[in-house]
Amino acid sequence: MFFVLPIVIVALYSFNVYSLFPGPHGFTFDAWRSFVHNHIYIRLFWKSVKMSLIVSAIIVALAYPLAYYLALSGTKRKYILLLLLIAPFLTSYLLRVLAWKVILGDQGVINSFLFWTGLRSPEHPLSQLLYSRFAVMLVLGYIWLPFVALPIFVSLESLDKRLLEAASDLGASRLRAFWAVTLPLSLPGVIAAFFFVFIPTLGEFVTPSLVGGTTGYMYGNQIVDLFGAGFPDWETGSVLALFLIIVVAVLTIVFSRFLQPQQVATD
Amino acid sequence: MGTEETGMRLDRQSLLKLAAVAGGAGLVAGRAGIADAMRAAVWAETGRLQVLDWAGYGNDGGQAMFAQYVQQHPANKPQFTYMTNESDALAKIHAGQKPDIFRPYVGWVKYFATSGLVQPWDPSLIPNFKHLNPFMVKAGQYGGKQYGIPADWGFDAILYRTDKVTPKAKSWGLLFDDRYKGRIAWFDDLEMITIAGLYLGFKDPWNQTSAQLNQSKNFLISKKKNVRLTWSSETNLWEAFGSGDIWIAYAWPNDWVQMKKKKLPVVYMRPKEKPISWVGMFMLLEGSPRTQLAHDYVNAWSSTKSAKWLEDNYGYGEANTVARPSSSDLLHALQLTNPRAVAEPNAHLDRDIPQRALYARYWEEVKAS
Repeated sequence: MFFVLPIVIVALYSFNVYSLFPGPHGFTFDAWRSFVHNHIYIRLFWKSVKMSLIVSAIIVALAYPLAYYLALSGTKRKYILLLLLIAPFLTSYLLRVLAWKVILGDQGVINSFLFWTGLRSPEHPLSQLLYSRFAVMLVLGYIWLPFVALPIFVSLESLDKRLLEAASDLGASRLRAFWAVTLPLSLPGVIAAFFFVFIPTLGEFVTPSLVGGTTGYMYGNQIVDLFGAGFPDWETGSVLALFLIIVVAVLTIVFSRFLQPQQVATD
Repeated sequence: MGTEETGMRLDRQSLLKLAAVAGGAGLVAGRAGIADAMRAAVWAETGRLQVLDWAGYGNDGGQAMFAQYVQQHPANKPQFTYMTNESDALAKIHAGQKPDIFRPYVGWVKYFATSGLVQPWDPSLIPNFKHLNPFMVKAGQYGGKQYGIPADWGFDAILYRTDKVTPKAKSWGLLFDDRYKGRIAWFDDLEMITIAGLYLGFKDPWNQTSAQLNQSKNFLISKKKNVRLTWSSETNLWEAFGSGDIWIAYAWPNDWVQMKKKKLPVVYMRPKEKPISWVGMFMLLEGSPRTQLAHDYVNAWSSTKSAKWLEDNYGYGEANTVARPSSSDLLHALQLTNPRAVAEPNAHLDRDIPQRALYARYWEEVKAS
């Protein structure tokens, strides 16, 4: 009810059945038609997909060894380390994004260090660091890292350690055991983690509006602008929002079987 | 907050008393008496005054501007929500937000006056109205009614760092200059289409033909590579400009004042194509249950004391012509002695855009491309 009803309302806006402005309006495909024909929005969507894919893939690759160490090294401090990983998330999301501005700016921590070492002159700072696509991806990666590490950690934690012993008894090297046992069994966690990041970052708009500048502008920003900051065009905004929901829903359905560990384990 | 609200709530008994007082005053003193009694009845309007305004004009630094109102109605302090521009306010109001007052700028007077969303003011309830600049007062009228009460005014022009930038000409072209790639900030508003039209020399940038609109859009898209940031809130701009990430920006006079405060070497340039001038217009929402309070609020903003404060601290002009800023630099820069500083031949007063939705769409496409 609370999930479907709002989507239905958005859909009605997209077909102009509902309209923000009073006056005559009726069912029409106009906004959908112009969305399909206007390559600008599709291109922007594709750009956001690429950015989210890169962010998700990189942080999964980074988080895996981290989760692996925490779950399988047998260290007694693993929950303390896990807590440390999560600790920054007790502060505000905005604060963490803004902190990156201080680090990445032309007069920021990184550039100041480069000036100090003489690697860059103050006249030519590394200005691609902030207000760029790179900045958006870096900050998104940072924000979402724990959300990736946790599902992978859980899937590795619940791994039956006897399987690894069996592999070793049968003469498999540690690397082979990893490829043949650990990785396939932790795959559901990895895929879940991947989508944990990919789906929310695809519709992200706060981070790009803070550190993205003109080049880091994402699909989510366009939706926000259509609903508010630009001259309100809820019809097109709803089309964009629905398109996003549809893509995410399809992806979720396609990969949902990977998200069920029991099923994979019995395969 | 809660206690203040309950303090303003009327029970049936006091409402009857109030009616009796008003009626009695009417019998004794005729029409004037009724008007006085009505004025006394302001406190009968319940709930806090809802103001939808721009950042910097509420409890986030603009308190001096409505101090007189707070003095007058200590139990009914205004409550603020913020708008980033008129489109944002329009969406919020249509989506069900119910402010009593909001502040679009002069280019939107016709749009809102004809939208059915606002009602005209009664200038006789605003004692400071007589001090307001007649030219701006007129700009707030539509169909002979006063839909907008002029308040703050200023210019859209270009701010740049003199130690980093040497403009080729005093022109809007500096916002598109390839030499300063990655150092330029635009404003996130469909007004950029108008500015492009102004720069490209179109006859009426506010009402471009479809060929001109396409040309403006394509021009902006081709120059977007030079732009590091499109700012939507001033704090956003101040941070980027103040930290040296941006050297050239579309800006308002307050931005110039703020950057000077940071001891940055900055110039606020008047382009040869002329700056665009604007006048803030308080508007009263249709169906507002607090019209008396709203009039008092606008009266506070129109006072000479408030106006001088705005000029001194924000570097904007105020429609109150009696007010004078402390600094003669500012007086000169804003041409405060010229009652038509916002008009031709000095500047292009922002005006209605008949195809506003189309302009907006093109601007969205510029950003998305």
